[in-house]
Parts: sequence; C-alpha cells; structure tokens
Amino acid sequence: MFNRSHLLLVLVLIAAALLTFYKIPIASSQGLTLVSAAVEGDLPLTDPDSALWNQATAVDVPLSAQNVTKPFLLESKIKSLTARTIQNGSQIAFLVTWADDTQNDSLVRVQDFRDSVALQFPLAEGQPFFCMGQQGGNVNLWLWKADWQADINARQDMDTQYSNMYVDQYPFADPAKGIQAGVADYTDPNYVPAMASGNLFASPLHASPIEDLIAGGFGSLTAQAADNQNVQGFGAWEAGKWRVIFSRDLASSETDDVTFVPGKTYSVAFAVWDGANGERNGQKSTSQWVNLQFGSAPQPVGVKEQVEPQKPWWQTTQVITLFMFGVLAVLFIVGAFIYSRLPE
Amino acid sequence: MKRYPVFLSWLVGSALVDWLVTRTLARSAIFMPKSPPVILVYQGLGLLGQLAATVTGLLVLAFLGWIAWRGLRMGGEVVLPTAFASLVVLSLIFLVFPPSGWLAVSYHMILVAVIVLVGWRAFSWVDSNSKKTASLLVALTLLVSELYQVIPALYEALRLPGPTFFSLILFNAGELLLLLSTIALWWAHGRPAAWRVWLVASLPALAFIAMRLANPAMTGIIAIWSTGLTLYLPWPGYALGLWLTAVTVLKSLKQSDLAAWVILLLAAGGYAPQLSTHAFLGIVALWLLLPAAPQPALDRPVYLESVPTSNDLVLEEL
Repeated sequence: MFNRSHLLLVLVLIAAALLTFYKIPIASSQGLTLVSAAVEGDLPLTDPDSALWNQATAVDVPLSAQNVTKPFLLESKIKSLTARTIQNGSQIAFLVTWADDTQNDSLVRVQDFRDSVALQFPLAEGQPFFCMGQQGGNVNLWLWKADWQADINARQDMDTQYSNMYVDQYPFADPAKGIQAGVADYTDPNYVPAMASGNLFASPLHASPIEDLIAGGFGSLTAQAADNQNVQGFGAWEAGKWRVIFSRDLASSETDDVTFVPGKTYSVAFAVWDGANGERNGQKSTSQWVNLQFGSAPQPVGVKEQVEPQKPWWQTTQVITLFMFGVLAVLFIVGAFIYSRLPE
Repeated sequence: MKRYPVFLSWLVGSALVDWLVTRTLARSAIFMPKSPPVILVYQGLGLLGQLAATVTGLLVLAFLGWIAWRGLRMGGEVVLPTAFASLVVLSLIFLVFPPSGWLAVSYHMILVAVIVLVGWRAFSWVDSNSKKTASLLVALTLLVSELYQVIPALYEALRLPGPTFFSLILFNAGELLLLLSTIALWWAHGRPAAWRVWLVASLPALAFIAMRLANPAMTGIIAIWSTGLTLYLPWPGYALGLWLTAVTVLKSLKQSDLAAWVILLLAAGGYAPQLSTHAFLGIVALWLLLPAAPQPALDRPVYLESVPTSNDLVLEEL
C-alpha cells in the first residue's frame, strides 16, 4: 500500500531528477579555491616581483605523478606549486611558482628536456577529467615552455651548445648569408615547409613563451592556429625557483579558448614538467581541479558587454535556479498536502 | 529512545552509491580500455551516480534540517540547532551565490563549531572509555580535515598573500587520525568478532594489498579519488585499517549496531571532502555517535546500540 514513506521517496527522486536534469548542483565546493583578486590599473605581465601580486592570496596546489596513461611518471620531483591570480576587469594574469633546483631551458641537445608548466581550463560546464579532458569535455591549455622563453631572451641554436661546431654550408639559404645562415634566412619556403605552414615548433621567433592548445582526452592535444595564439607569458628562474606569469584578455572570441566572466566560477588544473628528471609529454606532475573565482571589483564600463553578450534576464543562472526552487517549493507543498492524507 | 526519520536509510544507501559508483567505479574507468558497450555502461553508471549524488545532497540537507528542528523541539538548546539550520540555509544560498570571502569563512566556521560541539557531546555523554576514544578521534579527524579547508578561505578573506605553510601538516595529521579512528572504532564496536567475520572482512584488505603490490601508482590514484586519502603513511597501516573497518562494519551490521552506518557514512564522505554534501555526511555520522540526549528523568544518557529497524525508522510525530 502506498504510504507516507513511499510518497517521500517519490518526491525526493522527482526533485533529484529535476536538479540533475537542469544541472543544478546541490553541493557547494569545499576544496581549494583560487581567487582572482581585482586590482586597479595595468597588470604586471612581466614582473613577478610586483607588489600587485600580494593583493592575491596564494594557494598551494599539491601535485602528483601522472600515472593514468602511458608514458607514466614513476616518481614526481615537483610535489607542489604555488599559484595566485589577479585581474583588472579586462585582463587576467596568473603567477605560478615552484621549486626546481635546475634550470632546463634548452632543447638544442637531444638528450635535454625542458622545464614547463601548464594551466588547463574546461571549455564546458562542469569538470571533465583533470588530465587533458575527455571526449565531449574539451579543455583549453596554456603551456609555458622554458626553452621558448630562453629563445625570446636570446635565440638558441646548435652553436649555442656546441660553440666549436663547423658547418660546410646551408645549401638552401640565401647565398649572401654564407655559412652563418640561420633558419630565418631560408628564403624558399619549399625547404622549410613546417615553418611556412605556421607550425609553432618550427618558428624561429616565438611571439610568446606560451603555447595555446586544446585537448579532449589523451593523445588529442592540438595547438591552436598561429593566429589564435593569444596567451602572453613571462618566466624566470632564480635561486632554485621558477616564477612564471600567464596573461590573457578575459574575453576571447575563439571557441577553443576559455572566456572568463567576472562573477562566475571556473576550474583550473596545473601540470609541471622537470626537464632534469627527463619529464616530457605525459611524464609530468599534475594537480586535481582547483576552483577559480573572481574577487569583486568595479568593472570598467563596457567590459561586461565585451566579455559576454548580455543574456535576457530570464536566462541567467540565478533566475533559472530560483525558478527551480519555486518548482520544488510547489512540489513540496503538494507533497505535504498528500502526505497529511496518507496512512503512516 | 532516539528515533530517526525514515530517510536515514535512504541517505546511507544513496551516499554509498554516490561513493562507490561516481567516485570509485566511474573514475577507475580511465584505467580500462573502452569499447562502445563499455562506454555505454559507464554512461549509465555516470547518470546513476549523478542522480545518487543529488539524492544524497537533498537527503543530507533534509537530515541536517531535521536535526535542527528536533533540537529546537526538544527545547533547552539553541546553539547547535541554529548551527545546523545555518548550514542548510548557507547551502541553499550557495546554489545561487558561489561561496567566497567571508561568507565562505562563516560557512567553514559553522562547520567547525558543529564538529566541536557534537564531538564534545559524543565524548562526554558516552560512558565507555573505548567509545569515548572512538568519538574523540572521529571528531578530531573531521575537525582537522575542516581546518585544513577553512584556513585557505580565511587567508583569502583577509587578503593575505599566503600560502599557509602548515596546510600540509594539518592534512597529514588528519590522515593519521583517520587511521587511528579505524582502530578506535574497531576497539569500541568491532570486538570480539567471530573468525568468519575476520575472514570475510579480510577480502577488501587483501584486494588492496594485491593492488598496491601490483601497481602502487594506480592504487594511490584510485585511493585519493575514492576516499581522499593520499596513502602517505606506510601502506600496511591502511591495509590494517581497512581490515578492522570491514570487521567493525560486518559485526555491527550483524548486531544491529548503529556504528555500521556511522562508518559507512564516514567512508562515503571521504577524507577532506571536496563537496559540502560529503562534509555533511561526516557531520551526520558524528551526530549518530551521540547517545540519546540526557532526559530530565534520567541520571545518565542512554546509548542507542541498535541500527534502527524499519519500525524505528518512522518520522517523529509533530
């Protein structure tokens, strides 16, 4: 016989189904939260010593060896990193620091591997798998590379590592350059097709030490087109510590880029590679997802419109949530009425 | 006698499904090759897990609300019921406004206050020393786990640059306390047990040992996803803890001891949980360790020794 217990169970299941269908989480986050502090003025895009960084609370993010998919990292050398972030209403910047005894910023020798750090943001609602996302849950990655940073500071080539090397000639370079021809001196793109096609790895000059990528699961990491590389960065190693700054406009018109809207909550995950430990590709130390929130700040006029097209009021998260609460309240009242008329 | 709402058993059931399906089985899928049928199965499991997680979220809020209502109705106390009610209200507020700043700190501080108050009562109202120790260790584990999470929120609210250097120490101390809790709970509720109970209870521990020896890295990942434990202590300690926990659960279930549900709720909540729902499961478990409140006519509290039966699981009359 249908009694009060059954009715309660049915009501709970209906309410849970509605909340699940409309993706309204009943639980709030307890875990690590990185708050992007709102600051006035320009962001210190190349200055990790700026006092502005002290306006943001740093968060220690634990890292663990990537052992989910091959190639595994058996033992993580970098156990944690420290992250903080600031934003001024139009740009956001992250300062990531971690201890690393060695500065590995050259890939000229084949036996060398570089130090790197990456930030990862989900492109859809929710949190896909923290390591490279998953099918149907793409992630946007910002990958800072120590060798690209070194190239920007002073380009490295074979003669940087092997100063006594000798080359007979570069047959397809501008003859006027002689044996000192660099990659950029190759005038005929047929002989440097990777560079001619815009492959960032082949580019002799890096505009940024950060590569803007997208992934949707293991083995799917893809660089965004050269024209869409819009993340800036700066990194410096000093006294056994890397300090790397990532920066980008809050808004991005590219579908493969995460767009930040102040007031909303996001997720960010981190990965670090220690070149001295032979870490590359999947051999890295990774974090779980960390909540990313925005501190309150007066937004410059027009930024809201620039960041995200204004939605009709009835499509805002708050209104939808309140509507769902209304539905649940009606459900509760009707249920209570039936409940009072049912046998125990 | 202490009576519980009918949905306590549903809460335990849905919490277990949420834990075992969503946070354990579904996440371990990353180690498996996925053919289309397997993907279909996991999509189904994912949906089931989401539904279970939402049911758990609703029920645990309802249970906290019920504790608050019950406390106020019994009269004589205001602080604890108000704290429970505040947790429910704040959880509802956080559906619309994400927890941040002082609101987040307030939420965490209320959680800390609830753990301290309930933990103290569980400690002081219980007669037996073994149960006192078990209650104290469970409360301390929850407290340290919560402090680990409140300190970064406090730093953020105060706009201190941080980071907190003792966070890791707190986290590790909590994990050690959790292991000690498993021993204390076994000492208080799991002794003596028949050899058959010991034998059956050894199966999860043996599975853990086999997995740990075969693939320590994978074991560590599944452990942290499933339970929040980092396994930083020597692994035989975790194997022993798992064994003793299983013994306690089996024996308590057999004897209708409420400790079985307490342990299952604590396990489903996990250590240093990432979601408020899971933190509340720990609070409910701690509250279930409380004996019935002292009645004016009684000199000392009556400890509820039995898992509520279907007859007991009725809503209290208004």
